[in-house]
Amino acid sequence: MKTMFPYPLAVAALTAGLGFNVLAGLSPGQVDFGKFTPPGDGGQFVEIQIKSNLLSLAAQLLEKQQPDAAKLLRSVQLVHVNVVGLTDENRAEVTKHVRQIRHDLDPQGWEQTVLVQDKNGEDVGIYTKTRGGQTLAGLVITVIEPKGEAVLINIVGDIRPEQVAVLGEKLDLKPLKDVGAALKDAAPGK
Amino acid sequence: MNPSSHLPRTRPSARRLWLWGLLVTPLLLLGLLGAGVASCFRLGADARAVRNELIKSSGVEWRQQIALNAGWLTLGAVRAGLSCVRLDPAARAALQSIHGAGVGIYQLPAGTPPPNRAAMLVSADSAMAARGWERVVGVIDARDLVAVYFPKEISVHRLKCCVLVFDGKEMVLVSAQGNPEPLLEYALAQPGLGAHTQWLAQR
Repeated sequence: MKTMFPYPLAVAALTAGLGFNVLAGLSPGQVDFGKFTPPGDGGQFVEIQIKSNLLSLAAQLLEKQQPDAAKLLRSVQLVHVNVVGLTDENRAEVTKHVRQIRHDLDPQGWEQTVLVQDKNGEDVGIYTKTRGGQTLAGLVITVIEPKGEAVLINIVGDIRPEQVAVLGEKLDLKPLKDVGAALKDAAPGK
Repeated sequence: MNPSSHLPRTRPSARRLWLWGLLVTPLLLLGLLGAGVASCFRLGADARAVRNELIKSSGVEWRQQIALNAGWLTLGAVRAGLSCVRLDPAARAALQSIHGAGVGIYQLPAGTPPPNRAAMLVSADSAMAARGWERVVGVIDARDLVAVYFPKEISVHRLKCCVLVFDGKEMVLVSAQGNPEPLLEYALAQPGLGAHTQWLAQR
């Protein structure tokens, strides 16, 4: 029996649909870190991915007691953290992977806000993508400690630079405080 | 036709119905009680799915140490029973928050090498993803594996969570559902919370 359904059209539509989905899947400030394989025995591996559903739930819960914190949570869409312990087996591969991620950020409209490379080999990079020059669409922090671990952080949302500092202050997290201070300095009008 | 002639005929059938009711009701109640008691020793469907996948993929004979489950009926009865008792505020907040919980503990037989934790994480991820859950936290450190899952569709009043912990010898699966609001209200009202948060943040 002959079918009335035009297969080439269906295939084209499906392909286009998938393509649009892939393009539409990532928010402007979101970075795909790719897949990290947990290291062998003894190696550390941490992956945290808090999406907007959990963040808005947390905001809902905090609404009454801590409205400022709730507002901050509502402005964040995604918090993604990857920590991979560096061992002799994976050090070269993971370092290459992280450097490739950083290399790929530049042509995608990300701005390098901070880059620190010390003599011990520690390498810290902070990248931002702004939305209309006023707020941050995304923030990426990469840390490579050759004798320790590689850390990748991606915060996505519609975040004001000073909110990053507030978050760092509230949690008393020095790296986040430093990022907040650096972002304040780099803010337009400074 | 005399309407009163129906009376002698209906009375025995009504009596029979009552008799059947009296016989069947205790049996039904007994059956329900049995099913309820049995469900207390059986993990919830989501935790069971992840357990089955982990057991299958690891290829190891895990020994079940314990499997307990308390649903809304059991916890509702406990809440009602303890409503007049003076309880620690933290315990009361926890009791109000948790509407269902289950725990399963499984042990590797002595001398069995622990399965690959990365492979365990992948198996657990696929089992949970098939049921509409996603992993929020995954940690592999030394011999330990910790994974925390939440459903993709979540609501404040009926929040579900599933946690997997493996320390190289024992695997613990915990699932819970409820409304975290009372527990959070209690936690935020604690004066020392700020110091605890700072301590945690510095870890």
